[in-house]
Amino acid sequence: MTNEDDGEIDDESPRSTARRALIVSGAGVAALGGLAYWGLRGHGAKSAAAAQKGGELVVAFDGTSSSRFGFDPHNSGFAPHNRIIRSIYDNLTVLLPDQTIGPWLAQSWEISPDRTRYDFTLRPGVRFHDGTAFDAAAVKANFDRLVDKSNTLYSRQSLGPYASSQVLAPNRLRVILSEPYEPLLRNLSMTKLAIVSPAAVKKYGKVFAQNPVGTGPFRFAGLTQGTEIGLERNPDYQWSPSTAAHNGPALLDRLTFKNVPEEATRVAVLQSGQALAADLIPPQNILALKADPNFQLLEKELLETNYSLGLNVVKAPWDDEDIRLAVRLSLDIDEIVKVIYLGTLPRAWSPLSPSMFGSAEKELTGSWKSDPVRAREILTQKGRIPGPDGVRVKDGKRLTISFIDTQGNREKRLDVVQLVRRQLAASGIDLNIDSEPGGSYAAKITANDFDMAGGASFHADPDILRTAYTPSVRSALTGNKVVDPEIIAWLAAGAREADLTRRAEFYRKAQRKIIAKTYAIPIYILIYNFAVSRRVHGVTIDAHGFPEFHGASISS
Amino acid sequence: MGYVSKRIAGALFVVFGAVTLIFIVLYWLPGDPAQLIAGDDASPALVARLRAQLGSDQPLWTQYIHYIQGLATGDLGRSFATGESVFSRLAAQAPATLELAAFSLLVTVVLGVILGMVSAVHRNDWIDTTIQSVMLALASMPSFWLGILFILIFSVWLRWLPAIGNGSVAQLMLPVATMGLASAGRLAPMVRNNLVEVLDEPFVATLRAKGLLERPVLYQHVLRSALIPTVTLLGVIVGELLGGLVVIETLFARQGLGRIIAEAIGNKDIPMVQGAVLFFAVVYVTINLFVDLSYRWIDPRIAL
Repeated sequence: MTNEDDGEIDDESPRSTARRALIVSGAGVAALGGLAYWGLRGHGAKSAAAAQKGGELVVAFDGTSSSRFGFDPHNSGFAPHNRIIRSIYDNLTVLLPDQTIGPWLAQSWEISPDRTRYDFTLRPGVRFHDGTAFDAAAVKANFDRLVDKSNTLYSRQSLGPYASSQVLAPNRLRVILSEPYEPLLRNLSMTKLAIVSPAAVKKYGKVFAQNPVGTGPFRFAGLTQGTEIGLERNPDYQWSPSTAAHNGPALLDRLTFKNVPEEATRVAVLQSGQALAADLIPPQNILALKADPNFQLLEKELLETNYSLGLNVVKAPWDDEDIRLAVRLSLDIDEIVKVIYLGTLPRAWSPLSPSMFGSAEKELTGSWKSDPVRAREILTQKGRIPGPDGVRVKDGKRLTISFIDTQGNREKRLDVVQLVRRQLAASGIDLNIDSEPGGSYAAKITANDFDMAGGASFHADPDILRTAYTPSVRSALTGNKVVDPEIIAWLAAGAREADLTRRAEFYRKAQRKIIAKTYAIPIYILIYNFAVSRRVHGVTIDAHGFPEFHGASISS
Repeated sequence: MGYVSKRIAGALFVVFGAVTLIFIVLYWLPGDPAQLIAGDDASPALVARLRAQLGSDQPLWTQYIHYIQGLATGDLGRSFATGESVFSRLAAQAPATLELAAFSLLVTVVLGVILGMVSAVHRNDWIDTTIQSVMLALASMPSFWLGILFILIFSVWLRWLPAIGNGSVAQLMLPVATMGLASAGRLAPMVRNNLVEVLDEPFVATLRAKGLLERPVLYQHVLRSALIPTVTLLGVIVGELLGGLVVIETLFARQGLGRIIAEAIGNKDIPMVQGAVLFFAVVYVTINLFVDLSYRWIDPRIAL
């Protein structure tokens, strides 16, 4: 599973106004969103005073060594591809900078008093890139595709208890849930639930992901598998969300993404001018780029579950919460994050990234201290006595952790684990990294043949915790094996709770317990970064933490 | 003629062996391809259906026979991971890899032989020492590091060449220089030492005594004798070039089979790995076949 998400700096201001049969008027929210957006634009790219039309923007992106591109939004948990998906597709709703929801392809919606029926009014006049109409039938086809079990699409959990939908009129759609599901509107703003052309899905079948068709500001123009994807301006585009500073068709003629997995090369092509933009600049180059007047660095937190380490709680001795605690107390996470990311990323304290609605980052910050002495005491009390080589032993069994990994050193995660290994060694715990290809990783995870795993997952709603901590919905391939009835109940209640204050509290409770029981050890908050040449204007990063190119332009 | 057909038969056997070996290794690797395709929480029924579709529920030998039958009819099968034809996927990526490998080999041979000769002719003076030291440095540097150095100098600093992509001649320059120079660094000392050895042989003294000029002595007689071990080493260097593709293709953000094969192994995409291994095996064996056959051309005394 892949992941990553960024978000923003401020927490959502939960409105306690009861939102019974809430009617969102498109215009009102749009205006509000627009205002908030302008307020935040300070750290977006400089807007072009006289935006020039035309030109090609080449973006060097970190697509990792994956040689296969896939741009089906419903079937990609891979953040690098979702960053490109953002430009090809639109969503029904948009996440505003204050983490509330505004209208986009859905102009407005009404929610029934029992909160199981959503009546969406869709924006008229919207067309997919293949010329077919975006209407209620198309949206219904999207949802039905998502929940069709034989499709096994990655995003299906994001629709929650979706039961069915009815086309009420060409531009009115009723979505029926089997029970209230409050994450819905926020989830609908995610690339994972972007709207695809049903005609194109039918036409391309299995290779739709290589022939993406949406309604977005750029349309697909061709790809060179593994290295390059070309997009071109959608000349008919008139339906940008309220957050957009630019209206109408995009300014760029072409937008080309080149996969440059090696970070040193990515920086080099930006500096040499072979690309005018590059993302995920490595920590060692960030300061220099910031100081260089020829470049500008945009940064924003990815909304996600922070990258965390988790012990396999169903395997001894990690089923003992005291031993898990001892592992955590052995770690000096501040030092790890400082050494690896050179101060460019903050250390994480909570499972959810700070800008996400319901994150407990603020209250958990400073909630525990590294205490290797106490860790050693606990381990000794538990009968784990250091052997001749310093590794603790009980009944002839050495205290070892097999850390399983399949993604390699993405975001320098294996460097993190190397430091963890060194710190644990001081407590008499021996950690080994077990790097596995995808197939054997899956097999070992399912067979419980691992002690520790790490991961993060981009998402816009705290409901992502429910899909991680509820055994009935979580992926069999996740390293998270926690079964905690209290957490399960809180997360289920959170998904049903309409009152935002109470809803956030359910998630905070869950996060507090996740930390208290050492179900997860959060490490760092990912600040997604995007560097552009001084000649590039108008690139923005949306509230999820994905780059937007609709208003981008290049000056000569 | 008998020799040539024997060599070709031997080459075919090696290709067959490579394909069989990788088939068995992949088969025993843990992980169920059907589960991987179906996704994390697919129903067991769907997984079973996929398994039947892929044929991965069949016993090892059935799968193997199917595969060999497919090969015989020129069918490499379809990717487990994507359903695409393996042949078309490989065919799309092969040109980038082939041009990289071929030009790198050319640079290796031209530079390796010329510098080796110059070194031998000037043996033990400063030209020899300089060439030897530079070659040693090139051979010892990780190609990865050498590549980054070239990018910084020629792309970022001088702005002469693009650092990434494939398709144009300019885009080929840096990766070819990286791979070619590193291999030339191994080849040149070999060529030099062989030449030096031959130059000391009595037949060279005889040739000189007969009044032959230094040039014909060197080019017509000495070089020819010294080429045999050099060509043998080339066969080995081709293998190393192919093995180093993943790193170079990643560093220079190029398309290519190296990256495909690495990814396919990770996904347990058996048909894709098979196809790529087959391709590499054929290339490797073909080159070595030519190496063997070239012995006779280089030195007619060798009876084939």
